[in-house]
Amino acid sequence: MSKIYKLEEVARIFEVDGELIAEFIRKEWIQPIEPASHEFDNEDLARTKLILELIEDFGVNDEGVPIILHLIDQLHGLHLEIKNLK
Amino acid sequence: MASFDPYSTLGVSTTATQNEIKSAYRKLAKKLHPDLNPGNKQAEAKFKDVNKAYDLIGIPENRGKYDRGETTEQQEEAFRGRQRGGPFYHESQNNSGARYSTSFEGFDPSIFESLFGEEVYQGRRRSSRGDDQYYSMEIDFNTSILGGEKEITLPSGNRLRVKIPGGIREGQKLRLTGKGDPGNGGAPGDVYVEIKITPSLMFRRVGTDLEIDLPLSISESVLGAEIKVPTVDGHVLVKIPKGLSSGARVRIKGKGVPSAGGRGDQYVVVKIVMPEKIDSKLEEAIHHWSKDHKYNPRAHWEKS
Repeated sequence: MSKIYKLEEVARIFEVDGELIAEFIRKEWIQPIEPASHEFDNEDLARTKLILELIEDFGVNDEGVPIILHLIDQLHGLHLEIKNLK
Repeated sequence: MASFDPYSTLGVSTTATQNEIKSAYRKLAKKLHPDLNPGNKQAEAKFKDVNKAYDLIGIPENRGKYDRGETTEQQEEAFRGRQRGGPFYHESQNNSGARYSTSFEGFDPSIFESLFGEEVYQGRRRSSRGDDQYYSMEIDFNTSILGGEKEITLPSGNRLRVKIPGGIREGQKLRLTGKGDPGNGGAPGDVYVEIKITPSLMFRRVGTDLEIDLPLSISESVLGAEIKVPTVDGHVLVKIPKGLSSGARVRIKGKGVPSAGGRGDQYVVVKIVMPEKIDSKLEEAIHHWSKDHKYNPRAHWEKS
């Protein structure tokens, strides 16, 4: 239902090289909704944006990115649980 | 346009270097990023302002334009192209369809019990609990054994009654819950009173027992005696059997230190004291007596 983006589209949206996005997938920072064809949904897209911001704007290095992603995922997971409890 | 000042938004001076602007931007962006503050609208609005400010002066070319007043409202908007479109990550994770947020392993719902417990506790702490205060107080030996009450005056002028439990030890700290600084919306702090004990000239504390030396004259030790012995509860009459040597101990039950296992005992330790002057009469008497009453008090030395 949600829009699906091809890897080249994603690269164009964020004005980065497609190879960089492919690298994120290889490092398992992003697990596209369609792993085989490297197709992104909105969630993957937003995550890509976050990773780019972490790296380019915040200066987070490659070791830091997965740690931050993991913590952010936990944070959001907890928020969801709290919302469900209410 | 007049209302928005990118320099003050980033907290830098108009003469700041590009590097200073960049590091100020990064610092603020890290703090305010919506994904690190999910649901915090205020942080999100500030984050957008910070980004807008960085768009205007983050690149020398744009900054030059802005400084010369060449940046029009439309261009201001146009620069926003630098900012990436699409939703923030947290906006994609706020429903149960969120794959990433619900995929991590070992998620245990019982974490919430501890989390909420912690949060309640943290909440109290955050509204700033009052400071603890530390004092010391000297008490006499008898009070340290029997317990009692003492009043202290705090620097604030408040007077506090301190209840001292019997059997307290040197250096022990008494906590008076909630008697410290009033909190700022949180709980007040505690007062800690460290106990110092004035040593006794008569009593020695040995665990839960007390010891006192009992000086005896020759005649008392030879003939036995009834002696008024001081205890922490006042004097008691103690029967000393005849013939005790120095170092012998006589027990007075239940006059020691109160403890969980009941009250300890007091021991009197015999100490034979010679008269100040050995006169000829005493000498003669002992001489006469010892002629046919030899005994060896050091027999145990010879055995080994």
